[in-house]
Amino acid sequence: MAPEEWLRLIQNATKTAIIQDGKRKVHFLMEDGREMVEEYHLQTNVVVRRAWKEKGKLGQDVGWKVEIGDPEPRQSNIEIYGIEESSSTPFITRRITKTALEWRIRNLTYPQNVYSVTADDNTITVRTTNKKYFKKIIVPDLERAGLKVEQDRISFIYQFNTLVITYKKPPALLELERKVLDEILQLKARKDGDVQCPTS
Amino acid sequence: MAAVAAAKCQEVREITRIERIGAHSHIRGLGLDDSLEPRHVSQGMVGQLMARRAAGVVLEMIKDGKIAGRAILLAGQPGTGKTAIAMGMAQALGMDTPFTSMAGSEIYSLEMSKTEALTQAIRKSIGVRIKEETEIIEGEVVEIQVDRPATGVGAKVGKLTLKTTEMETIYDLGNKMIDSLMKEKVQAGDVITIDKATGKINRLGRSFTRARDYDATGSQTRFVQCPEGELQKRKEVVHTVTLHEIDVINSRTHGFLALFSGDTGEIKSEVRDQINAKVAEWREEGKAEIVPGVLFIDEVHMLDIECFSFLNRALENEMAPVVIMATNRGITRIRGTNYKSPHGIPIDLLDRMIIVQTSPYQEKELKEILKIRCEEEDCEMADDALTVNIDDVKRVYSLFLDENRSTQFLKEYQDDFMFNEIPSGLILSVSSVSVQIQDYIASYNNKCICDNDQQIIKRENRTMSPQKRQKEFPDLLRTEIHSSFFRKKEISSRSNQSILSSSRRQ
Repeated sequence: MAPEEWLRLIQNATKTAIIQDGKRKVHFLMEDGREMVEEYHLQTNVVVRRAWKEKGKLGQDVGWKVEIGDPEPRQSNIEIYGIEESSSTPFITRRITKTALEWRIRNLTYPQNVYSVTADDNTITVRTTNKKYFKKIIVPDLERAGLKVEQDRISFIYQFNTLVITYKKPPALLELERKVLDEILQLKARKDGDVQCPTS
Repeated sequence: MAAVAAAKCQEVREITRIERIGAHSHIRGLGLDDSLEPRHVSQGMVGQLMARRAAGVVLEMIKDGKIAGRAILLAGQPGTGKTAIAMGMAQALGMDTPFTSMAGSEIYSLEMSKTEALTQAIRKSIGVRIKEETEIIEGEVVEIQVDRPATGVGAKVGKLTLKTTEMETIYDLGNKMIDSLMKEKVQAGDVITIDKATGKINRLGRSFTRARDYDATGSQTRFVQCPEGELQKRKEVVHTVTLHEIDVINSRTHGFLALFSGDTGEIKSEVRDQINAKVAEWREEGKAEIVPGVLFIDEVHMLDIECFSFLNRALENEMAPVVIMATNRGITRIRGTNYKSPHGIPIDLLDRMIIVQTSPYQEKELKEILKIRCEEEDCEMADDALTVNIDDVKRVYSLFLDENRSTQFLKEYQDDFMFNEIPSGLILSVSSVSVQIQDYIASYNNKCICDNDQQIIKRENRTMSPQKRQKEFPDLLRTEIHSSFFRKKEISSRSNQSILSSSRRQ
């Protein structure tokens, strides 16, 4: 996707904004019917949460898929589906800072020297030499800006059972984020109360 | 080798045991060969060659998608295998073509109108083949661990460790998943896929790394590579959902959980219109494909005139399924009117139908069916048990009432029954059991004549049409059969000698 395309999608979306709990919350209803919610920190103007409302192909509600920020608390539906990851398995969360994209993989209990993080076929790939953990991380922000994953922007550190992967934002992405932020700061945001977001 | 074979046998047993034994559970298909010629006994079907061939031709047309929007009528006497043929068609169509089976009287529900029930039935029979992304887990089983509570009751707790060439993950298992893993006999070293949304398990084979284990592996064990990459993958799968399912998912008042409870209630027509438009759109974009399925309405004479006119119109719809109906009525009143019509179906609807006739079974065929049923129900019967002899009839006679005796009994004692103040002249109802017994005795009487040596000479006129029977054996009308039976009984009991004379010889 070219960066202009994403910008246009944001510009043309029906947007609703509210300021709550020190965050600027924005709801987007895209022209193609998709729904997205972003939350910006009031002081730093950094996205702390971004989630997409997922819909099944047949129109059933699947729920919110969190792209950035802490995942929704999981409710145990093991009796419905019959299988789910054990609570001790590694899971991944995403954050964004002013200059970097960050991933945290928690619950990794293997020694420090087994991890390797590489950029291949446009994803960030996490491997362990003991063949216990493997993950291909797709980077939607880079895809939207039409950029490739570059190896020398990746750095990672392992401590407290957590692997933190940091990807330094390329200038083109910073530029795009600034334009989107400009769009959002122009919105009139209500200070309190309940807002009714259009959903379709 | 023998041990392996025995184990195999055991396995098959267990699976058949789980399934309920219903009246038609022995039917596995129509029993036709490749050129659609019916085999005499095959896939649980016996006889009825013409009807089966006709059904086979229709089936091929359904498979080619050429006959949508037509109706087929299976007509024949009670107990001639109409439902069995419909079941056979359903089995032969396979899992992918929707097949809905309903009884005509099912539409008279208090919860929804007749047309709603019919519309739902019709929409249940139209499939939409659609590509959908689902999350599947694919990996080699490292370990399965199931903990049962010591008391024997309560929930089981299970853990499943799966791996690929790159990673390993532990999963918690629910009760249902534990059961289905047990049923599939999944063990360490198997490569499996689990559909995360539906919980369906698919065993791909055994991992190559286990190929040298000294396990007793059957000759058909397939060895596969351990999967690569991540355990959870998004895969595009093609599956068939019915229009009704899409309706229910999208009707806001219910949500898709209603699908599981079966309580779907009425669905607004706006929702249906929306879905139709959406499906048409998908179809044009090449995302989806319509699969017209089969709607089977048993006892179709129970539908009334409104339903028939609704069906008439529904059949004209471009997305109509093939409607198969079955009836055992001859010329009878159309429900809801005072007009009489063949099979109780209006003539205009009859005109659109292809009528397939089933004929009564011959005695040999009945024996064949009995044998199949015995096998299905796991009961053994000696060969001579399939032929009834006089003693059996005597025993049955003393145990159950037939129609005549029941009527007689009621005439004598009706004052002692409840509601006897209702003016007489009403037909006394006879329980269906006694009707069946009476039929049984009548058929027996028709069939067997005993000579002096008590040997049974069989005559096959049970399956003749009444007209023919009357022509050939004018003296063998029903009433006479019974009176002759009583006479025989008297003779045999009185004089301890069972020289019986048939009414024909007299």
